[in-house]
Amino acid sequence: MSAPVTSPQGQAPELDTVRDWKNPIIYAIFAVVGLVGFAFNAPGTTATFDISAGRDAVQLAPVVVPTVPVGWACALILIAIAVFSFLQTQAGRKDPRWMPIAYAIVFVVGFLVWVVGGANKTDVSLVGLLAGSVTMAVPLIFGSLSGVLSERVGVINIAIEGQLLAGAFAAAVAASISGNVYVGMLAAAIAGVLVSVVLAVFSIKYLVNQIIVGVVLNVLVSGLTGFLFSTVLSRDSATWNSPPSLPVIQIPVLEHIPILGGILFRQTIVGYLMYAAVIITYIGLFHTKWGLRVRSVGEHPKAADTLGIKVNFTRAHNVMLGGAVAGLGGSFFTLVSVSQFTKDMTAGQGYIALAAMIFGRWNPIWAFFAALLFGFATNLRFVLSILGTPVPGEFLAMLPYVVTIVAVAGLVGRSRPPAANGTPYIKG
Amino acid sequence: MKNILSATRRRASVGAAVLSVSALLLAGCGEAPQSSEGNGNGGGGETKAANSDYLGCIVSDSGGFDDQSFNQSSYEGLKAAQEELGIKIQEAESQAPTDFEPNLNSMVQSGCDLTVTVGFLLGDATKKIAKQNPEQNFAIVDFNDPEFTDNVKPLVYDTAQAAFLAGYLAAGMTETGTVATYGGVKIPTVTIFMDGFDAGIDYYNKQNNADVNLLGWDRKSQEGTFIGDFENQSAGKTNTANFINEGADIILPVAGPVGLGTVDAVKEANKSGKDASIVWVDSDGYKAVPEAQDLFLTSVMKGITKSVKDVITADVNGKFNSQPYVGTLENGGVSIAPYHSYADDVPKELKSEIEDIKAGIIAGEIDVQSDASPEQ
Repeated sequence: MSAPVTSPQGQAPELDTVRDWKNPIIYAIFAVVGLVGFAFNAPGTTATFDISAGRDAVQLAPVVVPTVPVGWACALILIAIAVFSFLQTQAGRKDPRWMPIAYAIVFVVGFLVWVVGGANKTDVSLVGLLAGSVTMAVPLIFGSLSGVLSERVGVINIAIEGQLLAGAFAAAVAASISGNVYVGMLAAAIAGVLVSVVLAVFSIKYLVNQIIVGVVLNVLVSGLTGFLFSTVLSRDSATWNSPPSLPVIQIPVLEHIPILGGILFRQTIVGYLMYAAVIITYIGLFHTKWGLRVRSVGEHPKAADTLGIKVNFTRAHNVMLGGAVAGLGGSFFTLVSVSQFTKDMTAGQGYIALAAMIFGRWNPIWAFFAALLFGFATNLRFVLSILGTPVPGEFLAMLPYVVTIVAVAGLVGRSRPPAANGTPYIKG
Repeated sequence: MKNILSATRRRASVGAAVLSVSALLLAGCGEAPQSSEGNGNGGGGETKAANSDYLGCIVSDSGGFDDQSFNQSSYEGLKAAQEELGIKIQEAESQAPTDFEPNLNSMVQSGCDLTVTVGFLLGDATKKIAKQNPEQNFAIVDFNDPEFTDNVKPLVYDTAQAAFLAGYLAAGMTETGTVATYGGVKIPTVTIFMDGFDAGIDYYNKQNNADVNLLGWDRKSQEGTFIGDFENQSAGKTNTANFINEGADIILPVAGPVGLGTVDAVKEANKSGKDASIVWVDSDGYKAVPEAQDLFLTSVMKGITKSVKDVITADVNGKFNSQPYVGTLENGGVSIAPYHSYADDVPKELKSEIEDIKAGIIAGEIDVQSDASPEQ
């Protein structure tokens, strides 16, 4: 009851009496890192970025970047933004909204030029780096959408991992048996819903602690799919575990846009459904009557109930919808990414999706970008280890998580869950 | 109000109980120790009957017995012993490191004569349980420790020797002048492949004045590309695509099932005009992954199945010893697979050079160094 009134997007209201020095300090720290690293310690070589993939119609020449001037330029921009942010804060004004994003982009560019220039192999495929990032991000995006749908009605969804894994398993088996990829996709969605039904029944009807139900479901799906994999799938993989792959659909004209065209517009249907799901979820949640009801159930179920919204029905409904989305995302593993199911192949990505959702402030669009950032950081670590940088491998492995901590602590601001998240609703 | 509250509590506790019991039951399905009778049907009835009270056991690491890798090979060794000797066997799969000791203890309590533990990761658990149970014998695959008691036989493999041959072959076969390798997790049984592969490429460069480049592993700094687990196939695929983008055309994935991601990445790259191939590890890829037979240049194989079977046979005959078994090119414990689909593509000279190098390694003239090589 004491929670402040918030805008529909869930941002905290501006408090103009308190000056928050957090952002300028973070900017300053990283500007110093940039100055010492990218500028003073620039490797003095050039870094080459290939921006055309083999099958592009228009072949562009690789971009060759001298590390010293670019390093200095990036460091100076970072310093300028830090100074500007100090002045803004001093004057009691808030930073413009584009600033953290611009700062992050300049920092990443500076870092890339510095690290590639200093590597054993100073030539990197930029297209490959970005394409791999998107591939790594697809299941995370579906998973975080599932989380958003479920948590916006107040049901904590730890079971994303289980929904993805169940989807991957069902897609592989159904597509193998039927020989039809679309049957596989349908089965994946249904499997995700089945996991969600258990989550919904136990957390909404039987009021079990939602986090515990979620964790238990993950263990259950892992055990069940692992058991079936050992006893059925691996005995006769030709029948049970050799699904066909989804065809790649190329969108004419758009696919020829340099760099991004081939990445965004040469996708399978699951990839395009992902874009659609992000947009539809966003519009649905924030610009429709349905979305208003859903959010009211997650923020203040009692008030929603008094207005005649069926709280538990809405909750169950949304949790299952989330399951369908995550299940569909699971089909990406076995129908797009690789061509068979193996034990625990989701490898904890459901939990990363959960982090992306929190990082994205329970908002589909921001969760989408958060997942892309995770994908980028993960693939960047692989690419950097290939190039042979002086940075030790263990540090590179930390990259995605360091990025998260910095971004969540510094640039995102307060991440506030729906007020009734995790609280079962008991009428009476 | 009180009624509602107590009703609520009742519902919650019934729900929790039902849910957790069912989860435990299902999660337990995969790991319950199973016992099966020796099914030696044909011939040699008498010796088999004599062995039917011998119990051979096995505990996997979290990969499980169908990992198309060392757990599976070890299990096949035990199965082969069961068929040949008519012994009884018992198995337990570990889902997580916390299962290692309980699984080993349950084997000890079942009265196993010899328990095979699979993998580096079970090293500590095996050491501890073996020390507490000196009456029973143990054999551990892929790990050695000087502190082992004398009821433990380590089975280790100098994989670097075979990987050296594969590295030389890959360097001779690459058309882009770049080859690549990556690992699942940075542990000695993985890096030994990468070390040997790297050394083989260096040797090729020196002998032929060539400049073949290896991505993903640096033998000197012991740094390279690792996925971080043995499960995330998508990461294996993306990572392999990265290698191909950077110009590699022969890839050595040392990552168990994650290597299947490499198979998909190479398939896709070849569809769009590349000509990439794979060197598989542990077992012969041509047999282990039948749907991609045309992609395997060769495989770096460890004779785990045979050595597991041998140690059980020795124990059945009362000849168990704790002397470590070290698989080498010389005793056939490590080897490279036939070229299969590439038999016609590998030039004759290269084939004979590889035979010469193999002889050189066996004779000790060529030194294959790896930090991870087992002591002989």
